[in-house]
Amino acid sequence: MQTAMLAFRNLSRQKRRSVLLGGAIAFGVMIVTLIDGFAGAFVDNVSENFSNLLAGHVFVEGVEKSPKGRDLEIIRDDLALREAAEAAGIEAMYVSRRSGLQGSFKFAGRTATLRVQGVDFAAETFLAERLALASGSLENLPRDGIVIPEPIADKLGVAIGDRLLVTTRTYSGQQNVGEFAVAAVIKDPGILGSVSAYAGRDYVNELLDLAPDEYQALSFYLPSLKGMDEAGDRLHAEVSSRLQAFERKAPGAEGENPILAMMRGEDEETWTGVKYRVTTLNDALAQVQQIVDVLDTASLVILLVLFLIIMVGITNTFRIIMYERIREIGTMRAVGMQRGQVRGLFLYEALFLALGGAVAGLAVASLVMLGVGLIDFGLDSPLFLILRNGHMSFRLDWARVAGKVAIVAFLTLAAAFFPARSAAKLDPAVALRTAV
Amino acid sequence: MKRAMISVLLALSVAMAGAQDFKAMLREIDSLGDFGGQDFTATYTIVSEKPGQKPETVQVRVYRRDERDQFVFLFLKPERQKGQGYLKVDDNVWFYDPESGEFAKSTIKESVQDSEARNSDLSRMSYADDYDIEKSSEGKLGAYDVWILELVSKDSEVSWQRVRLYVRKDKPLVLKEEDFSVSGRLMRTVSFPPSYISAGGKQIPSRILIVDEINTGEKSQLTLSDVAVGRLPDDTFTESFLKRAR
Repeated sequence: MQTAMLAFRNLSRQKRRSVLLGGAIAFGVMIVTLIDGFAGAFVDNVSENFSNLLAGHVFVEGVEKSPKGRDLEIIRDDLALREAAEAAGIEAMYVSRRSGLQGSFKFAGRTATLRVQGVDFAAETFLAERLALASGSLENLPRDGIVIPEPIADKLGVAIGDRLLVTTRTYSGQQNVGEFAVAAVIKDPGILGSVSAYAGRDYVNELLDLAPDEYQALSFYLPSLKGMDEAGDRLHAEVSSRLQAFERKAPGAEGENPILAMMRGEDEETWTGVKYRVTTLNDALAQVQQIVDVLDTASLVILLVLFLIIMVGITNTFRIIMYERIREIGTMRAVGMQRGQVRGLFLYEALFLALGGAVAGLAVASLVMLGVGLIDFGLDSPLFLILRNGHMSFRLDWARVAGKVAIVAFLTLAAAFFPARSAAKLDPAVALRTAV
Repeated sequence: MKRAMISVLLALSVAMAGAQDFKAMLREIDSLGDFGGQDFTATYTIVSEKPGQKPETVQVRVYRRDERDQFVFLFLKPERQKGQGYLKVDDNVWFYDPESGEFAKSTIKESVQDSEARNSDLSRMSYADDYDIEKSSEGKLGAYDVWILELVSKDSEVSWQRVRLYVRKDKPLVLKEEDFSVSGRLMRTVSFPPSYISAGGKQIPSRILIVDEINTGEKSQLTLSDVAVGRLPDDTFTESFLKRAR
C-alpha cells in the first residue's frame, strides 16, 4: 500500500511527464473506443433501418418454376403458412402479406420509376401509423389509390387526385399497363424509402396478374432483433413439414450471403408447384456482420500498433526516470527497501498511468460520441442506413471495453517492466555513488 | 332480292374465313423467319426517337442458330456499348458487359438498350407455338386485303399476352402487329412495310417500325443489312465468342 502511495506521489511530482504519457495512452484508448462504439451500433442501426424498410425480421417467399424454367415469385398457400407460423410459435408484433411491382410512372410527359408495395391496409394498421403524411389521407383509400413519397410527387408534378399511368410487368414478366390515383403523399422518407410507394394489394395483384388471395412476401416483425434466427429456424422446420421448402443456408466459407447462396441453388434445381424460402434479416445482412468483424479486428490492430509505439515511449521514459532517481533508489535501498518494492514502485506508476489514461480516453471518447450524436445528418443523408433517425449512434459493450483496458494495462506494465527490473537490480552503494 | 344477295355474300365470306386454316397460316409466317438447319446473321440498325431528345442509334449484329434456338447479339454502336451483348443458351439469356467481364442473367423480354425493340424482336419467334388464335376477321390495311388475327398467349413466357396480327391475304406476310398489355391496353404497334430482303430462299422485312402507344412520340425504326444465311462456327454461340468479339 505504501509502495502504491509512493508511486502515486511520484507521478504527481512529474505532472507534465505524467500528463504526456497518460495523454498518449488516453489517445489510443479514445480511438479504439470510438471504433468499438461505432461498430457496436452499426449492426443495430442497419438492422433496424432494414427491418423498417422490409417490414419484418423473418420472411417467407414462394418460388414457382415457369414452363421454361424461370423462377416466378408467388405465395399460393397462405393457410399452410399461417399454420406453420402458429406451430413455430412465432410471436410477431406485425405480420404483413405483400406483393410488389416495379413500374415506370408517367404524368404529363414526366416519368419516374417506383417500387410499389401492395399492402393490405386494413390488416397492416401499423403501416398507417408509421407513414408520415405530407398531404392526402389513407382513409377510404380507393382501390387504385397510391401513396407516393414527396420527392416522386415533386418529380412528376402531381397532386392528390391526379391519375398516374404505370407500365409494369406481371409476376411472370408479361407487359401490363395500369392507372393509379394519387391518394396521399408521404414526407421524404430518406434515400431508400424515396423510391418506395404503397398501394392496395388487390389492385397491385391485378396488375401482377395474381389472384386476390395470392401474394409474394410474408413478413413477421418481431418484438426485438434478438432471437430472429431461432424464429427463422423454427418456422423453416414447420414450413418444411407442410410444404416444399429450400434448405436454410449458413453464410458460406467465402462469406457468401446465405440468401444469394439459396437463390443460386434454385437456378440449378427443378421442382413443380411452389417451393418456399424462409430467411431472416440477419441472412440478408450477413455482409454487415462481416463489416463489423473487420471493424473489430481493425480496432484490435490499431490498439496494438498504437500501444507498440506508446510502449517504446513508456520504456524510454521509465529508463530516464530510473537514471533521474538513481540516488533516491540507492537511499531507499540503503534504508531497507527490498528489490521487489523498488520494482513494484515502478510498476505501480505504470499501472496508474495506464488506468488514468484509459479513464481519460473513455471520458473523451464519450464526449466525442455525445457531440457527434447530436449532429443531425437528415434522413436523406447517404449515411442513412447506418444512422438512427438521422443521427450517428454508438453502443459500447462494457465487457469488451474492460478487456481493452486490461490489454492497455498489461502492455503498459510490460513496457515498464524492464526499466523496473533494472532499477530493482541496482546495487545501493553504486547507486548512491552515481552522479546524475 | 338485294337483301338476300347481301346475306349470301356475308355467308360466303364467313364460310371462306371459316375454311381458312389460320394455324397453318401462322406456321407459314413462322417459317419465313426460321432458317432451320442454317444459321442466320444480320446487322440491325435501331434508330430511336423520343420527344425532346436527339435520335439515338444502336447497331446490333445478330447471329442465330434456329435449329437449337440459340442467338448472340453483339452491340456495334454506340461506342459506349460496343462489345456488350446477349447470349441465349438453352432457355437462359445472359447479358455480357466487357467493362466488368461478367455475364448477368437477362430475359428475352428486355428492351434493346432503351429502344422500343425487345430482344424477342431480333430473335426467332413462333406465333404458332406461343399463341392460340382467339378470333379472325377480314379487313383492309392501306392497299392490301388482310386477315386480322387476334392471338392469345398459351403461357406467360412471351412479353405480350394478346397480339393482333394483320396478315396479307395474297401472301402469308405480316404487315402490322399490335401488342396488348394483360389489362387489354394497346402498348405498341409494329409495322412491317412491304419491302423485303431475300435470304436463304425466304423473304424478310428489311424495315420494322415500332411505335410506343403509351409514351406518345416514342418510336424506333429497325433496318436490316448485311444479311447472310449459312453455317457459322459452333463457338459463335458461346461465352468466349462474346469475350473475344470486342
